Amino acid sequence: MAAIIETRNLTKIYGGKVKALDDLNISIEEGEVYGLLGPNGAGKTTTINLLVTRIAPTSGTAIVNGFDIVKNSLEVRKSIGVVPQDLTTDEDLSGFENLKMVSQFYDVPAEEAKERIHKLLSMVSLDDVKDRLVRQYSGGMRKRLELIAGLVHDPKILFLDEPTLGLDVTTRTQMWKYVREIQEKLDVTIILTSHYLEEVDALANRISIIDHGKVLATGTSEELKSNLKGDIILATMKTDKDAETLMKYPGAIEAKENGPRAVRLKVQNSDEELPKIIQYISGNSLSITRLTVQKPTLDDVFLEYTGSEIRSEEPTDSRQEMMNLRRLRR
Amino acid sequence: MSGLGPLTSRELKKWYRNPVSLLTGLIQPFFWLALFGSAFSKISAFGPTLLDGAPNYITYILGGVLTIIGLFTALFSGVNLIFDRRLGVLGRFLIAPIRRSSIVFSKIFASSARILVQVGILILAALLIPNGLEFKHGFTVLDALILIAAVMLVALIFTSIFTTLAVRITRPDTIFGVINLVNLPLLFVSYAMFPPGLMAGWLSDAAKYNPVSWSAEAIRTVVINGTLTASQMHSVGVWLGGLAILATILLLMAYFVSENEIRE
Ligand SMILES: Nc1ncnc2c1ncn2[C@@H]1O[C@H](COP(=O)(O)OP(=O)(O)OP(=O)(O)O)[C@@H](O)[C@H]1O
Ligand SMILES: [Mg+2]
Repeated sequence: MAAIIETRNLTKIYGGKVKALDDLNISIEEGEVYGLLGPNGAGKTTTINLLVTRIAPTSGTAIVNGFDIVKNSLEVRKSIGVVPQDLTTDEDLSGFENLKMVSQFYDVPAEEAKERIHKLLSMVSLDDVKDRLVRQYSGGMRKRLELIAGLVHDPKILFLDEPTLGLDVTTRTQMWKYVREIQEKLDVTIILTSHYLEEVDALANRISIIDHGKVLATGTSEELKSNLKGDIILATMKTDKDAETLMKYPGAIEAKENGPRAVRLKVQNSDEELPKIIQYISGNSLSITRLTVQKPTLDDVFLEYTGSEIRSEEPTDSRQEMMNLRRLRR
Repeated sequence: MSGLGPLTSRELKKWYRNPVSLLTGLIQPFFWLALFGSAFSKISAFGPTLLDGAPNYITYILGGVLTIIGLFTALFSGVNLIFDRRLGVLGRFLIAPIRRSSIVFSKIFASSARILVQVGILILAALLIPNGLEFKHGFTVLDALILIAAVMLVALIFTSIFTTLAVRITRPDTIFGVINLVNLPLLFVSYAMFPPGLMAGWLSDAAKYNPVSWSAEAIRTVVINGTLTASQMHSVGVWLGGLAILATILLLMAYFVSENEIRE
């Protein structure tokens, strides 16, 4: 398969100081769902904004659908659909009017636009409210409208920047269903950013973990997990002293505290190591209250590469508040 | 791929769907005429010489009020751009394959269209009120064209300036500050409200260079005189010419600034 997006030492420095992207080199293949995973401030939105020509790179460039983002931004814009992190639909127009306006930006013939808009509206179950002003939409409805606003001109590539930010868990799962449906039915390449691990895990074929503007790892979810080389064993002990003793278990690749009296051991292979751990526990007369074996999750992958835990369940209103604040700061 | 059509239609929809703006737009002309017509009616006592031969003060002041209505609407033409940026809508426009200048020009055109409607309502209102507008010497098609051209040129001049400012200004309070700084000087240092003979010498001198005066005087000349003499035609030509040159320069500025500078 051919790369439909390729970045070449893509770098963005804001205001001469903040290095948001640092020589980024990624390659995205046609037809895949590609996930960019990273904590707040990692440079996800910056990457997307550069690729969609919303901002210009400080140095380096990228080729999107065969066009250079610096030299040929207009052609890039024609071949892509974008669902930005912030809301972009006009509250004073109806859902239908918003989509209609976007279709006119792309010179979609009126008849074709109408047909396509209706198809998209029913795909995300908004047909009933299409003539209502967007101001009267719920947060979830608004996000669904944003999702299809990036699709009215039949783009080859769709960029989704945090498509489920601020949505509750049910609505989020519903959005995933729509994204999958879009990918299957409309045959687009999707680039998705998120800091929800489950989201990237559920939707993306391939994932890049980025932090501080650099790619730390790329691969399928399975590859990333197997790269970790090892399983996790979680044990909770009766006393602090017992926990300390278990931390000294010699067969562990790594031992960490994991809460009060809880220990997190990383071992090569849990199936072989577990009996030995049990022997060690009884040999040292430790009292254990709980023992769990964990195959690595994307969480662990993330922790491994970025050295910090991503919080997958942030309270929605505080995120929302941050979004609003960011907007007001402009 | 210009985007001008859909963006202008969006602006207009937002305007006529807002019941408050529609209502104030309807009431405002009556308000202004009632206010100015009666507040300064004593000027009529100075006689027709001071009023350039106008039969009453409303007739005299119509050119001024039309220009000022155009001016004040134009001053606010950039505000929507700032809110589009704040609300994120601008982001959608910037990722679309449209000319960047169409974002700014849609505001210029929509504001001009609003001004045109207000001009129509104001003239109607002036004709309807007692002791109102009188075309003593008739009103020709050419007069009407001159009147519309004058207001529209003022509209283009100030919408260009204020939408261009909004390309760079990101805070609503900043642009409101600028509007408040210039609106009254533009109004009072001009021949929009008072005959030059009633103004302090320095004020009258300064007012000569204000495009608001040019428009007000041009409209006043055609409204009062109907068919123009050659010398009146010449003055009107100079005023409109000045307005047209200024408008062209400022529209070009708006074009280049918006093509290159507009961002979130
Ligand atoms: N317009 C800007 N001016 C200055 N600095 C910026 C600007 N936009 C982003 N940054 C900085 O660049 C870095 C990367 O930001 P970016 O928005 O790309 O992160 P992100 O991964 O999308 O984060 P989030 O998960 O919060 O959306 C951050 O340190 C941020 O503060
Ligand atoms: Mg972001």
